[in-house]
Amino acid sequence: MSVSASNAASFNALFAPSTIAVVGASATSVSGGNRFIRHLKAFGYAGRIFPIHPSAAEIEGMPAFTSVSAAPEAIDYAYVAVSAPQVPPLLRSFSGKVRVAQVMSSGFSESSGGHELEHELVRAAREANVRVIGPNCLGVYSPRARVTFTERTTDEAGSVGIVCQSGGLGVDIIRRGQNKGVRFSGLVTVGNCADVRPYELLEYFLASSETSVIGLYLEGAGDGRKLFEILRAAKARKPVVILKGGRTGQGRRAAASHTGALAGSDNGWKALSAQTGAVLVDELDTFLDALLAFQSLPPRVAAAKRAVLFGNGGGASVLGTDALARAGFDVAPFEAGVAAKLQTLKLPAGSSVLNPIDLPAGALQQDEGRAAEAIFDTIAEAGETDVLVMHVNMTVVLSFRHVDMLGNLMNAILRVKSRDRSGMHVVLVLRSDGDPDIEGPKREYRRRAVAAGLPVFDELTSAAEALACVRHFETFRARAAKNT
Amino acid sequence: MSADAKEILKAARGQGTSSLDEPAGKELLASFGIRVPASRVVQGAAGLPEAIATLRPPYVLKVVSAEVIHKSDFGAVRVGLKNLAAVEQALAEIDTALNAKGIVAQRWLIEEMAASGLEVVIGGVVDPEFGPMIMTGLGGVFVEVMKDVSFRICPITRLDAVEMLAELRGAALFHGARGRTPVSTDTIIEVLLKIGGENGLLTRNADEIAEIDINPLIVTPDSATAVDARFILQRNMERG
Repeated sequence: MSVSASNAASFNALFAPSTIAVVGASATSVSGGNRFIRHLKAFGYAGRIFPIHPSAAEIEGMPAFTSVSAAPEAIDYAYVAVSAPQVPPLLRSFSGKVRVAQVMSSGFSESSGGHELEHELVRAAREANVRVIGPNCLGVYSPRARVTFTERTTDEAGSVGIVCQSGGLGVDIIRRGQNKGVRFSGLVTVGNCADVRPYELLEYFLASSETSVIGLYLEGAGDGRKLFEILRAAKARKPVVILKGGRTGQGRRAAASHTGALAGSDNGWKALSAQTGAVLVDELDTFLDALLAFQSLPPRVAAAKRAVLFGNGGGASVLGTDALARAGFDVAPFEAGVAAKLQTLKLPAGSSVLNPIDLPAGALQQDEGRAAEAIFDTIAEAGETDVLVMHVNMTVVLSFRHVDMLGNLMNAILRVKSRDRSGMHVVLVLRSDGDPDIEGPKREYRRRAVAAGLPVFDELTSAAEALACVRHFETFRARAAKNT
Repeated sequence: MSADAKEILKAARGQGTSSLDEPAGKELLASFGIRVPASRVVQGAAGLPEAIATLRPPYVLKVVSAEVIHKSDFGAVRVGLKNLAAVEQALAEIDTALNAKGIVAQRWLIEEMAASGLEVVIGGVVDPEFGPMIMTGLGGVFVEVMKDVSFRICPITRLDAVEMLAELRGAALFHGARGRTPVSTDTIIEVLLKIGGENGLLTRNADEIAEIDINPLIVTPDSATAVDARFILQRNMERG
């Protein structure tokens, strides 16, 4: 994937700045700029921070400078939060001194009468030869560089790169995502995208060795064709998950033909997904679940199809089977040989070793989970399973207070996973009733599981949808390989 | 062949029209190697004997007019005409009906009637976000009521074309569902590629063409024929 050298330099500066200038921090109150400096310090940012202020000698306990040109070093990344009319002249003053600037200020094309000012911003950026992210955004999150624009973000770096056209949703993506176990290489909120377009950051993430899964939240129109061309050329090298807002929009000109009347922007996004292997999702949780699945599950060469469902709870098993079937998976009975082997495992009464495998909680725990491990081993050795979904009713399982039943089960499945050569996807569903004494342990189990490469979902339907996203990507790659 | 296409589109632009009439549309399709019925254009009844001599019956007679865009609404299409006398009578009847509505037909299209087969729709549109896009679906209720269509962004590959057909809910009809004769999906795929492929008609002329409807494309076990075609042109007329 080709990224121009200058874009690569700008975006490296964005995600790993050695020096940061903050324009718009106050000496007397707490503004966005002050909060950003505090976030940087709290997050352990190790580079140098240069507050820029026309008169103050000190901001947030650090020496301030009257302008960027007065700062003693070149600036990799400038955080700009001043009033909109001040932005263009400020950008001109960055010439030769700043690699990339992010403009948080609003009052541009998103508000009435702000279009001209946004054009002026772009002209100023071009004249100063500074790439500008925004305006009307919140900032950048890069755990490796210890840069963050919001509080309570994890410093554990990961492989998921995000371009987000909404600031608030960017906070959701980080906070809810990290609670699900998603770990980011970087997230940038891009706002109005007056200068830097989302596709340029997509190109950067496609080329970056630190990013192996890409998520895009897009709204508004404009980049579809360019995204299509880039994604098609990328030949599904990395999974790309797209959450596109406004797909139901009716804002299409009146069409003169049948075809024109049937075409809407949604058809274009669906076509893009079919033609590039990018995954298209409709809502935030599906987006995050898909990113988590891609983060944890190396894509199979042959697309996943055959699923085994294992867990406690007959009703959950039935509904889970439906969810997997709706998502396009086969939950089929075992071959005779495998079924016979499973029968020899001598499981307690009430167990069913057909697929779905439904074990009462007591049987899950037989021999500290070794019975379950024998079942997993039998399934893995048979090599007929592409996806193994383990679901646990935590309310029931945690009522066995004398044993760490779930811990034993997780250890069992992880041991089997480490021995498995079939590349079967293994996922865990932790079903909770929402009580605090269930949610607490669930959090801890989720953390342990995801850290060990086992993605965790809240419900069987979420797991099925996330696995369907993985399969879309695998199917695309398999077909493309067959047809070249 | 695309030189012909440019000429046809240039001529239409020269006349300041917003769409191509049916003979021009079919000529455009033919210049890209898409099969259309053998046809002649006549000014009136006087031209019929000579025109018909070069065509095989049965015949189809249509009024050529940019205005009579929904020809069937005017009863302005007649099919299954067996001989010259039948064509002459049909022309006289349509002419009378049009005159009663204050329309004077200037040109008539006389065509060989296509063999019966499965009716397929192929369309094209230049989308403001994605540029040229191609569509296909099965004719009649499948497209009009059930909206059972698939879209792809141009240029499409052969695999894209194959998948477009496969993802239609009514795809089983291609393969002979409900006792029908299976039809040639290969010929549909060829038409899709000639419209939306790398060197396709729409892909190459998205600056001139706004929308295309080929409805129906009649598909038999060994051929696909564009029986009706509409081209809406881009509105920007000042390009030269």
